[in-house]
Amino acid sequence: MFRNILEKGRRLAGLGSLVAALTVAAPAMAQDKEPIVFGGSIPLSGVFAFAGIHIHAGLTDYTSWINSQGGINGHPVEYVMEDTAYEVDRSVAAFKKISGSSSPATYYGDSTGFMKAIASELNSQGNTLMSGASFATALTDNEQYPYQFIPGPNYSQMFGIILEYIASQGEGGDMPNVAFVYSDTEFGKDPIENGKARAAELGIEVVEEIVTKPGSVDVSAEVLKLRRVRPDYVVFHGYVLSPINEFMVQMRQMGLDTQFMGTFWSSDKLIIDKMGADADGYMGVMPYNYYDSEEGGPMLDALRAQAEKSDPEAGYRPTGYMQAWFNAMVWTEVVKRTLDAGKELTGDNMAEALASIEDWDTGGIIGIPVTVRDMSFPVGRIWRVNAEEGRYEPVSDWIHLD
Amino acid sequence: MDWLFFGEISLAGLAMGGLYALIALGFVIIYKATRVINFAIGEIMMFAAYLFLAFAGGMELSPWIALPMAVIGGSILGGVIEKTMIRPMLGESPISVVMVTIGIASILVGLVEFIWTADPQLLPNFLPREPVFIGELYLAPKIAYGFLIGSALLIIYLLYFRFSRGGVALRATASDQAAAYSMGINVRRVFNMAWVFGSLAASLAGVLVAATGGLSPQFGIIGLSVLVVVIVGGLDSILGALVAGVFIGWLETVAGAYLGGEYRMPATFLVLAIILVIRPYGLFGTHEIERV
Repeated sequence: MFRNILEKGRRLAGLGSLVAALTVAAPAMAQDKEPIVFGGSIPLSGVFAFAGIHIHAGLTDYTSWINSQGGINGHPVEYVMEDTAYEVDRSVAAFKKISGSSSPATYYGDSTGFMKAIASELNSQGNTLMSGASFATALTDNEQYPYQFIPGPNYSQMFGIILEYIASQGEGGDMPNVAFVYSDTEFGKDPIENGKARAAELGIEVVEEIVTKPGSVDVSAEVLKLRRVRPDYVVFHGYVLSPINEFMVQMRQMGLDTQFMGTFWSSDKLIIDKMGADADGYMGVMPYNYYDSEEGGPMLDALRAQAEKSDPEAGYRPTGYMQAWFNAMVWTEVVKRTLDAGKELTGDNMAEALASIEDWDTGGIIGIPVTVRDMSFPVGRIWRVNAEEGRYEPVSDWIHLD
Repeated sequence: MDWLFFGEISLAGLAMGGLYALIALGFVIIYKATRVINFAIGEIMMFAAYLFLAFAGGMELSPWIALPMAVIGGSILGGVIEKTMIRPMLGESPISVVMVTIGIASILVGLVEFIWTADPQLLPNFLPREPVFIGELYLAPKIAYGFLIGSALLIIYLLYFRFSRGGVALRATASDQAAAYSMGINVRRVFNMAWVFGSLAASLAGVLVAATGGLSPQFGIIGLSVLVVVIVGGLDSILGALVAGVFIGWLETVAGAYLGGEYRMPATFLVLAIILVIRPYGLFGTHEIERV
C-alpha cells in the first residue's frame, strides 16, 4: 500500500512538474503572437473524478503536443483549468475566474448542468466556444446554446446508432426487441424519449423500461421484471459501472441469452478491468477508436506517442482521455479555420467555423471522415468486449447518422 | 395480480431490508450509548469495503480471511475516531459533534480517493453464484447470502446485549449515564465500545452491500439514506432499527417494481413524513429524543 502511495505521489509530482513546465514554457514559445487559451472546469475530485483525472491528462497532453507542432498558426496554446469537484456552482465560479483572467477562446465544461447554467453568460459574452464531458441532446439546440457543441454524437444519436445496429441483427423479418435501463438522473433520462421514437421507426419493440437510482445498491427486483419480458437486448444509459454488472450477472444466472449494450460513459475499459470474464460480450457505442485498438492514423499515433511520453507508466488511456483530446482537436480546427478566414475569435465566428466542418479527417481518432450536424459529430461504432483479450473489438462499421 | 412476481419482489426487498437493518443498528448503537448522531457511518462502511478490496483484491488473501480483517479494521477505525475526535467534544453542543462527524466523513472520502483512486470498483466475488430458490421464488444469491451473514451478526449482537456484562453496561449507560457511572461502570469505555460495535455492524454491512452494488468514494451516501430507517424506527431503538430496516427495504423494492425506480425514494420519504407527523420520535423511539 505504501508503495502505492509513493507511486501516486510520484505521479502527482510528475503532473505538477508538467503543469509548472507548461506554465513556464508556454510564454517562452509564444514567439510574437498572443497565446490562445483553452479553459476548463475539470472535475479532478468528486463523483466524476475517475474520468476528470484522465480528461485533464488528455487536455494537458494535447496542449503539449500542439505546442510542439508550433501551436495554432504560430499562436502558442495555454491550458488553464480549475478543479470543480463536479459541482455546478464551483464550475461556474471557475469559468468566471478563468474567463476574467485569461479570456479563453474555448472551454471544457464538466457537466450538462454546468453547460446549461452558464449558457446565458456564455451567450452574452460571445467570445468563447464550449464543449466538454456532456453529450446531452439538449445542448444541440442551436437557438438556446449557439456557442456549445458535442464532441461526438449526442446521447439520442448514440441510441440511434445502437438501435440501427440492433435492427441490422434482425433475421428474416424477426426484429429483436429491446429494454432500456437508465439512471434516474437528467443524464440517464436524456435519450429515452427519442430512443423510443427511433425504435418505433425501425420496428423495434421496447418491451420494458427500468429506472434505477444512480449506482443502485440492489437491482434484483428490476432483474425479475426483465426476466418476465426476456428482452433480446438491454441498453444501459446513465451509468459508469454499477449496476450494469449486476444486471448482466443475474440475468445470465437466470439463463437469459440477452445481449447488453451501453453508451459512451458506460463503455470504458473499466468495465472489463472490474468485471473480468463477466464482461464478455458486452457492447458499447464509441465515437473514437480505443487507445488499444488495432486502428491507426497520424493523429492516433501522435496521441499514443504523447501519452507515452508524458507518463510512460500509465499504459492504457481511458475514453475520457480520448474524448478530451478530441475536444481539443476540434477547438484547434475551429480556431485555425477562424484565423485562416481572417476573422476574430468570437463565439459567432467559431460556431460558423465549426458548422463548416465537413468530411474532416481526424487522423484515426475517428475511423471515417466526419461532418458536423447541428453542433455534434453524429458518428460511432459498436464495439464488443473480448474478455480474454481484455479489450473492445469492433463489431460494426462506422455509422454516420445523417 | 401475479403473486409469484409479488413474492419474489417482496423476498428481494426483505433481504435488502435486512442489510439496511444492519447499517441502522450501527447507527443506533452509537446514538443510544453516546447520543452522537454519526453522519460518518456510511463512510466507515465505505472504508471497510475498501479494506476488503485491499485484502482480497490487492493482497489476494482468501475472501473469508479478508472479510473479518476488513470488518475488524472498520471497527478499529470507529474506536479510534471516538477516542481521538469525539471524546474531546464531550460537553460540547450536539451540533458541534455532528459537524465533527461530517468532517470525518469528508476526510475518509479524501483518504480512499488518495489510496484507491476515484475509480468505481467491484469487490472480488466471494459469495456463491448459484441462484437461490425458496420454493418457486427466485432470490439473487448475493442478496440471499448477504442477508444470512448479516442476520447471523444481528443475532450475535442481540444475544450479547441481552446476556453479556458488556451488553448490560451498554444498556445501563444508555438508560442513565450518571447512574451507570455511580454504579462503577466505566462510561468512557462504554462509549468507545459503542463506537467499536456500531462501526463493526456498519463495516460488515458495507462489505456485503458493496459486494452487491459496487464501490466508489461516494458509497457512503447509502449511510445517509439509512437515516430514514433510523428516524422511522426511532433513533434510540434497536428493535426500531430492525423493523424499520426490513420494512423500508421491502417498501423501496416494491415501489420500484410496481411504480418505477423513480418512486423508490419518494415512497420511503412519504413514510418518513407520515411518521414524523404522527410519532416524531419514531415507531419505537423514546419521547425524550433531542432533535438537532
